[in-house]
Amino acid sequence: MVQYSSDLDSVFTAVADGTRRGILERLGRRQASISELAEQFDMTLTGMKKHVQLLEDAGLVRTQKVGRVRTCSLGTRRLTAEAAWIAKYHQMVEAQLDSLGEFLERTKGDQP
Amino acid sequence: MTTMTETTMRHTLTTPTDRTIRVERIFDATRDRVWRAYTEPALVAQWWGRGNKLVIEKLEVERGGHWRFVEHADGETHGFEGRFLEVTPQDRIARTFEWDGMPGYTIRETAEFTDLGDGRTRVVSTSLFFTPEERDGMLHSGMEGGMALSYAALDRLLANSRD
Repeated sequence: MVQYSSDLDSVFTAVADGTRRGILERLGRRQASISELAEQFDMTLTGMKKHVQLLEDAGLVRTQKVGRVRTCSLGTRRLTAEAAWIAKYHQMVEAQLDSLGEFLERTKGDQP
Repeated sequence: MTTMTETTMRHTLTTPTDRTIRVERIFDATRDRVWRAYTEPALVAQWWGRGNKLVIEKLEVERGGHWRFVEHADGETHGFEGRFLEVTPQDRIARTFEWDGMPGYTIRETAEFTDLGDGRTRVVSTSLFFTPEERDGMLHSGMEGGMALSYAALDRLLANSRD
């Protein structure tokens, strides 16, 4: 049984950004430190911390500090499913417009 | 440069509000061709599935009309459906969108078509997400009657032979 959160605003905000969707995708494969993420996304440590904070507030990511290193991993499964759907939908719309462009190109000059 | 940035550049992607996705594209095609690609089942089937097999079960392009597409990909079947909220020929379509896999998460999709006057057409696609709670709120505030009417209409259509 799935319990849906009534406060999804933070989730929508979190996944509205391409970098943050990329971070989720990356953490889905393996956990990473903030500095690893910053390097991978070509971003300052401060910039990455802000993204991670937003994702953490939404429950999509959890972080744990051991010594000087803060390690990030995916948050609770329930919120991830919702975030994944929004991200998937977003990708779908983009891919559809690509596909429409190809279709219109392909059928140029066809009889109606 | 990441892949995401390239995507963003290609689509002019912005997010006006937290829960809105806005994607804008310019196509080298007349508005009439773009409109038909959005509204004629035989044409929709050729692009909406992004290369996957797509069955157009229902596409009633009129206010209150139902649409339902089923996509077949990698041995899986995904159903998508909704109702048309607004249909202004050649100009604008607004409809609800729901994936069978996330029931209750209704998206309000709007597509606006602008003739750029040089044979090209701008399409602005806007999607607004609703939570199940908000969706239920909409139902209780008067959409329920409309839904019931539409389902009755759908039943009648299903009873008739498919064209």
